[in-house]
Amino acid sequence: MPVTVTPELLLMLLADARLPTSGHTQSAGLEPAVAHGVPSAEVPDYIDLRLRTVTRVEAAAAVVALHHLRQGLSLAQVETAWAARTPSAAMRATSRAMGRATQRVVRRLWPNDPSVRVLGPGASRAIVLAAAADACGLAPVALARLVGYDDVQCVASAALKLLPLDPADVSAWVLDALPAVDRLAVEVAPLTVPGSIPASGAPQIEAWAEAHAVATRRLFSA
Amino acid sequence: MPDMPTPADRALRVGVCGPVGTGKSSLIALLCSQLAGSLDLAVVTNDIYTDEDARFLRSAGVLDPERIRAVETGACPHTAIRDDITANLLAVEQMEEDFAPLDIVIVESGGDNLTATFSPALVDTQVFIIDVAGGGDVARKGGPGITRADLLVVNKTDLAPYVGVDPLEMVADAAAVRNGRPVIALSRGDHASVTALTDWLLTQFAEHRAGHLVPTDPGPMAPHAHTDGTVHGNVHPQDAERVRRDGDDVRHDAHA
Repeated sequence: MPVTVTPELLLMLLADARLPTSGHTQSAGLEPAVAHGVPSAEVPDYIDLRLRTVTRVEAAAAVVALHHLRQGLSLAQVETAWAARTPSAAMRATSRAMGRATQRVVRRLWPNDPSVRVLGPGASRAIVLAAAADACGLAPVALARLVGYDDVQCVASAALKLLPLDPADVSAWVLDALPAVDRLAVEVAPLTVPGSIPASGAPQIEAWAEAHAVATRRLFSA
Repeated sequence: MPDMPTPADRALRVGVCGPVGTGKSSLIALLCSQLAGSLDLAVVTNDIYTDEDARFLRSAGVLDPERIRAVETGACPHTAIRDDITANLLAVEQMEEDFAPLDIVIVESGGDNLTATFSPALVDTQVFIIDVAGGGDVARKGGPGITRADLLVVNKTDLAPYVGVDPLEMVADAAAVRNGRPVIALSRGDHASVTALTDWLLTQFAEHRAGHLVPTDPGPMAPHAHTDGTVHGNVHPQDAERVRRDGDDVRHDAHA
C-alpha cells in the first residue's frame, strides 16, 4: 500500500491513547498487582518486569507476525507460538479482546490493506498490531517499540487511577523505562521464525491475571 | 459508522444513564420484568467499580443471567459511552451474535454526573434518569441528558413527600427545558407510570423496526444562550430558533 505520510507520524497515531481501542479498560495487570500488595514505589519495577517478560513475548510475536505478513506466510503458526508462550488463559483472552477492539479501528483506517484483510476475528493484539504496522510501512523495530511503549503507558495511566500519585512523577517513570523499551525493541526486531519468540513468562503476573479474571470488584478489565 | 442509517434488522440499542443511585438498574429490571415475556432482551452494564449492577440484575431473576454482561470501564464510565465506545460496542455486537435474533439490547452506563450522555454511534435511543431524592432543583440545573435525552425519567416519585420535593414541579421544570421531549414521572408502584415507560420503549422499538428511528446526540453540554444573544453548545436548529425568539437565558450553570 502506498504510504504518503511519514512512518513517524503513523507510529504516533498507533501509540496514541486517544486511538479508540478501549485502552481505558486496561491496566496491564497493575490492578491485581496493587490488590496483591505492590506499592506505588514498586510500580517502576513492575513496568521493568513486564518489559523483560510478558511484553517481550508480545513484542517478539508482533515482529514475527510482521515478517510473516510481508513474506506472505500464514499467521497461524505465529498465533500458536504466542499462545504457547502465554500460559494464562485470562491473558490470552485479554489480548484477543484487545485485538478485536484494535482490529475494529484498524479496519476502518486501512480497509483495503492486504495484511489487515487477512486478519481473523480472533487475532491476538500482537498480530493485529503487526498488520497495522505493515499497513503503515513501519520497520520491525518500530513495531516492537510500539508494543513496549504502549505497555509502559498502560501501566502508568492505570497507576494514576489506582494509586495516589503526582502525574508528573509517573511521566518520569515512563521516561526512565524508555531505554528498556529500546533494548527490548532492538533485541526482538530481527526475529522472523515463530519458534524464536522467547518463552519469557512471568508466573506471578500470570497468576494475578487469573485471579483478576474472577474478581468481582475491579475497575479495569485486566 | 456514525452517519450510517440504523439497520432495522439488528436489535434496538437503548442507553440508560444518569447519576449514581437514581435507579438505572431498577429501571432496567422493571423493563425486563415487563417485557422479557414478549421480547428477546439482553443487557450490558458498565459499573464504575464492580459488577454489582450485573449481579443485581441477575439476582432479580428477570432475565437469563447469560444475557447480562458487565463491561469494565477503567473508572471512565463517561469515556465508555461517549468518546471510546469500543468495549461497549463489541459487547453489544457479541450479545446480538450470541442470542440472535435479539429485539432490544439495553446498555446501562456506570453512574456518572449530569453531563454524561451516550454517543449515537453506540445507542439508537437513550433514557436519562434522575430522582426526586436527588433534590427538586436537579431538573432546573439541566445538562445534556436532562434537556435532550430521548426520554427523561424522574424516578422514585413515591419518595417525594419524604424529601420535601414536589414531583409535579420537578416534571414541569424538566418539561420546560426539554422543548417537547417526553418526561415520565416514575414509581415502580404506580402502574400508570410503568405503562407509560413500557409504551415509550415499545414505540421506539416499532420506529426502529420500521427504519424510522434516527439516533440523536444530546450533546456534550446543555444548549444555552447568553443575554447578548450568543448561543453555545449543541443547539439544534429548532432550539436555537426558540432561544432567539424567546430571548431566554437558558442554563448558565450547565458548565459546573
